Amino acid sequence: MKKIALLVTALIAVGILPIVANAAPEDDLKAFRAYFKKRFPDTSFQEFTNGNYAVGIASADKRAQWEDAEEFPPYELPLEKGQKLFETPFANGKTYASCFKNGGIGIRQYYPYYDPNTKSIKTLEGEINECRVKNGEKPLKWKKGDIAAISAYMASTSRGKAIDIKVPDEPEALAAYERGKHHYYAKRGQLNMSCADCHMYNSGSYIRADLLSASLGHPTGFPVYRAKWGSLGTMHRRFGGCNKQVRAKPYKAQSDEYKALEYFLNYMSNGQKVNAPSYRQ
Amino acid sequence: MKNLLIPALLASSLILLGGCASTQSSSSAQAKADETSAQMAVFQTSYDNAALALKTASSVGGEWRDTGKMMKQAKAAAEAGDFAKAEKLIEAAKFQAEMGYQQAMAQKNAGPHY
Repeated sequence: MKKIALLVTALIAVGILPIVANAAPEDDLKAFRAYFKKRFPDTSFQEFTNGNYAVGIASADKRAQWEDAEEFPPYELPLEKGQKLFETPFANGKTYASCFKNGGIGIRQYYPYYDPNTKSIKTLEGEINECRVKNGEKPLKWKKGDIAAISAYMASTSRGKAIDIKVPDEPEALAAYERGKHHYYAKRGQLNMSCADCHMYNSGSYIRADLLSASLGHPTGFPVYRAKWGSLGTMHRRFGGCNKQVRAKPYKAQSDEYKALEYFLNYMSNGQKVNAPSYRQ
Repeated sequence: MKNLLIPALLASSLILLGGCASTQSSSSAQAKADETSAQMAVFQTSYDNAALALKTASSVGGEWRDTGKMMKQAKAAAEAGDFAKAEKLIEAAKFQAEMGYQQAMAQKNAGPHY
């Protein structure tokens, strides 16, 4: 009996027990979807990918304005630039296509993924920079600019393909998933608010003049072009902004914390179609 | 002779008075320097305590956005000799750091409530 107590204590100490005790990712996914279905009965599963412009969430006016913006979207030029950068050979003559499956075309829906070789989460932006370094180029700055443009172009080639994220039954993969899930539900910062407080429990409500979008489908439109930014930005750029808004110290882009959050959120969006890049206010 | 004696006495008195004044001003400058040094030592202790609290909060992902900035502002105020402002800021920073730690601990098992 003493041995069992000691083992349990040790497991708690190293943080293994909470992972074992947590719900399986598939159960989380079902409950997450069911929550939003109940909260927004007039919004279809795919429609959530339009964020706070989704039918059943946005007002008719807001929706119409967004549709107008998407007709001649402000991300067109950066998207073209992204394609040009993607296709331009490095100094050694190779291109980004040499680093990715299927030449980097139509693969966004599989990102981020758990890599069993490195036992870590791989993001699309992370692999873009890995590719550069592997080919003797300097890595790009995270969050915006060229990396967002390249990532947006690659994501655009996946438009219409359903997000397909796997959480294999391996301790490191599950730990990353749980880490992301914890970040999403844990209150933080001086305002004591979690991601879920805004984008789950209060989704569809106004916070001052802004309509809070639902988390379901959030990742499908990233990188997004935000009017506030006046440029394209990656998901990690947005994570940092959200954390700052609740007055928490943000993590660095491509930190393990944000990679885990991206992993969790994309898993929660499984089955929803990529529509990146998207326009957001 | 008398005519010379009076100015001489006056001059020596002035020198003596000047000497006293200079001694007084240097001892008051010394006292001021001692006071500043004592205030800086008190502030440094408060600063170290706040830095430790912030490190502890940060180690569990509980650091708040402005705490580090407040600490820098406190240090700048102390260096400018405004110890009242510096103490106020450093106490607020320490409070934030402690709250951030408590918050992170309280949220250790955070999860959904459907």
